[in-house]
Amino acid sequence: MGGKASHLPKESLSEYQELTFLTKQEINEAHKKFCQLQTRENGPMERVSMQIIMTLPELKSNPFRERICHVFSTSDRKDGSLSFEDFLDLLSAFSDSATLEIKSHYAFRIFDFDDDGTLDGEDLRKLVNCLTGETDDARLTSEEMRQLIGNILEESDIDKDGTVNLSEFQHVISRSPDFVSSFKIVL
Amino acid sequence: MELREFHNKVHPPADYDISPYGSQRSLRLRTVPAEGTSAVHFDWGSTPENAEEPDEPRNLRELPLHMGLKRAVWQVQKMRVPVVSRWGSWRIKQSKTFRHFCEIAKEVLSYLVPWKRGIQKIGGHFGGGVQSYFLFLRFLVILNLLSFLLIAAFVLVPSIVFRSIGFNSSIPLSVNLTSVNVCLQYDPKPDPLAVFYTYFLDLVSGTGFMEYSYLFYGYYHDTMVESKGFSYNIPLAYLLTAAFYFIFCLICMIIRMGNVASAVVATDGGVVGRYSMLVFTGWDHGLQGDLAAKLKKNNLRYQLQVDLEEERLQQKAASLTLGQAFALYALRIFLNLVVLALIGGTFYGIAEVTQFSQSEKTTGFNALLLQYLPSIVITTSNFVVPLLCDKIALLEKHSPSTTVILALLRAVFLRLVSLGVLLYTLWEQITCKGETSSQACTPCGYKYEQYKCWETRVGQEMYKLTLFDFLITIGTLILVEFPRRIIVDHCSCKLAQWVGRQEFLVPPNVLALVYSQTVVWTGALFSPLLPLINTIKFILFFYCKKITLFQNCQPALRTFRSTSSNFFFLLVLLFGWILASVVLIYSVAKIHPSYGCGPFRFSPSMWYVVPEAVDMLTSTSKDFLFYIGSQKFSIPLFIFSCVLLCYMGALTSVHGKSVALLKSQCKLEQRDKQFLVKQIEELNATMQKDEPQLPQRDTERFYQTEQEWNGYNNNAFIPDEDPRAY
Repeated sequence: MGGKASHLPKESLSEYQELTFLTKQEINEAHKKFCQLQTRENGPMERVSMQIIMTLPELKSNPFRERICHVFSTSDRKDGSLSFEDFLDLLSAFSDSATLEIKSHYAFRIFDFDDDGTLDGEDLRKLVNCLTGETDDARLTSEEMRQLIGNILEESDIDKDGTVNLSEFQHVISRSPDFVSSFKIVL
Repeated sequence: MELREFHNKVHPPADYDISPYGSQRSLRLRTVPAEGTSAVHFDWGSTPENAEEPDEPRNLRELPLHMGLKRAVWQVQKMRVPVVSRWGSWRIKQSKTFRHFCEIAKEVLSYLVPWKRGIQKIGGHFGGGVQSYFLFLRFLVILNLLSFLLIAAFVLVPSIVFRSIGFNSSIPLSVNLTSVNVCLQYDPKPDPLAVFYTYFLDLVSGTGFMEYSYLFYGYYHDTMVESKGFSYNIPLAYLLTAAFYFIFCLICMIIRMGNVASAVVATDGGVVGRYSMLVFTGWDHGLQGDLAAKLKKNNLRYQLQVDLEEERLQQKAASLTLGQAFALYALRIFLNLVVLALIGGTFYGIAEVTQFSQSEKTTGFNALLLQYLPSIVITTSNFVVPLLCDKIALLEKHSPSTTVILALLRAVFLRLVSLGVLLYTLWEQITCKGETSSQACTPCGYKYEQYKCWETRVGQEMYKLTLFDFLITIGTLILVEFPRRIIVDHCSCKLAQWVGRQEFLVPPNVLALVYSQTVVWTGALFSPLLPLINTIKFILFFYCKKITLFQNCQPALRTFRSTSSNFFFLLVLLFGWILASVVLIYSVAKIHPSYGCGPFRFSPSMWYVVPEAVDMLTSTSKDFLFYIGSQKFSIPLFIFSCVLLCYMGALTSVHGKSVALLKSQCKLEQRDKQFLVKQIEELNATMQKDEPQLPQRDTERFYQTEQEWNGYNNNAFIPDEDPRAY
């Protein structure tokens, strides 16, 4: 809003710098963007709803945008709405200087569509559909899907329980050279 | 799966509120599913890890928790008074200050680094592969700029200063010059009544007014100034600056390679686990725009389908009969011979053309064409032959990744060796095929009739190559890429749609950059301003390529692995550096410098100024330098490096073995889990039969054990710690 403080107080700024991977510049930028999003809400709300967050140009075309909002949201209603601190958490995990562990941790949570702590066949199927596109001609055939999921589980499921847990996921990610640079959102 | 059913029975996922992703490292933090509150319970049983205190601020950020929880952790940390000695607290303070300083330095550097936004935008729209090209280009721009500053500080500025003051060359009395009088004739001053267009020709070919200027070696004098307390030896400065320039470039490349190599080693080449890798790390979250996202999705789908298809074909082809395998290998050998013949023919052509252009003497526009003939032939072959090699590689029926690597290797071989052939031909001409005692080379040690100042001639060749490369790139942009886009966009005929928009292919572009940089390195000794020209050229390249990327190109259909290819490009750049350094060392050590020009005109070789200068040092410094260069020092150093290498190799193999061990340990743990769960089920069943009122407690116990086992903190990976009940 117009009357709201457009600058963060100094202690909050240093506190956020201490608790996230963002620089001072990035935190101020995030605050500006968040205030802009808040003006689009119907009333003065501390949380911005998921629909409005998803209008950000950085998130608009991301097929995982809903999952991202759900993972970082601390809302009691589980509606994916983000407060400013949730927004900072999001940017911190996706920032340039975040470590591989943090990024792989959050990537795992984003891919875990049913929130049960492991990636099973159904999660993987939904993940692949997000990656290839939702329209009918963009999906893989069920035969290809079956072959693909079998291959993935064969490669990453070390303890052969039919699911990929966090440690197995992080093991796969640690071998990828491009993950850190592709898991990045900069405002 | 048995385990999952059991899990769902005991612990329905619907009201699952616990954050299962607690940290596993220094701070043990557990949250309890109290309704609504985010109460934090610490595990006071953990030992206060004083040794890790300095790292705790970093660990705060690395906790995968919400901001509120992190803040609570921070409050508690601040309240904790660690018991550390004075030495410990001093160390902590120092490390905090150092970290603060590093963060400020990083911020300052981020202001200095150019084109950050532009490259980010490119990555967002075209992906990591294209972005890696622009990052490589930026690296080369900075390298060239710093090199030019080095050369300017030590060679250019002193020369300008001394020339304006009026110091000139001093002929040492020890050299007998009567026998080489004929070699001293060198008069490059341009004819003042030349026609205007000759200025243009001179600009483009480095002759005339350009020849006798700071651009080329011939203009510098062998000034050795020694006034009150100040001495400056221009020849020594020239040589040492060239040497330091090479070493500086090598260090920059190795640092950059080190960063990339660690990623490549960690991935074991990236072949294993490619499906999981593609699915888990395939999406680029930096992409913006619906079009880019749609293209990326198509890209991923295409990649997945191709890989799955390839696997199906491989399974079929594994059963190849002997006759078919033989036919395939015979075909491959034949095609390799064809490729070698093509490349050999190119080299022969280049050698012939270089000899021809060096010996003919015409004027006017024909002269210009003749002078540029080697550059034209090299550039044409660099364009045509890789195209043919690509088509041939398709016939060889390798897997797609092998095809790409083969094509790259052949293109690299062609480019660098064609440059080598040009240099070899020049050397043949200048030193009469190495026989300095032959008739044409007798008094001076080089062919003085054709090459009054051979260093300047070599510098001119490199200058022409650079300029021509630049003109061709800009020309291709203007005359090929823009019209292609205009035709494809506005003409709706089938041919135009089939050809389609230009794709920005990264490997050929990067190889072009490597080639330009190799040319500059080769020419830097003979043309000190060449790094500056190259900096300007690369800056213009950046803007032109960016414009053509956004206006004319479509994103590539096939993915391009950026990091492993980054290592390959830096490796190729290193080969270029080796080629240039071979030229440098040979010119400095073996060929006699020209008598008529340059700072080394009265030394028997360029290297000779260094022993002369060392002789003038004090005896302690001389002894020290001799000791470092002697065998007494270098052999122990060599042995020490071998020992270090063996140690690193042993460490690597130990790590590999422990990874394999941990993997098998994982499998065993899982089998143990399943066995124990089965036992519990049986026990439960029997107990329910015997005592019907106990099941409640048993279920709770199962809940607890379920918590421990279902891998939220997969304690299999922390063999030291006991699994703690929540």
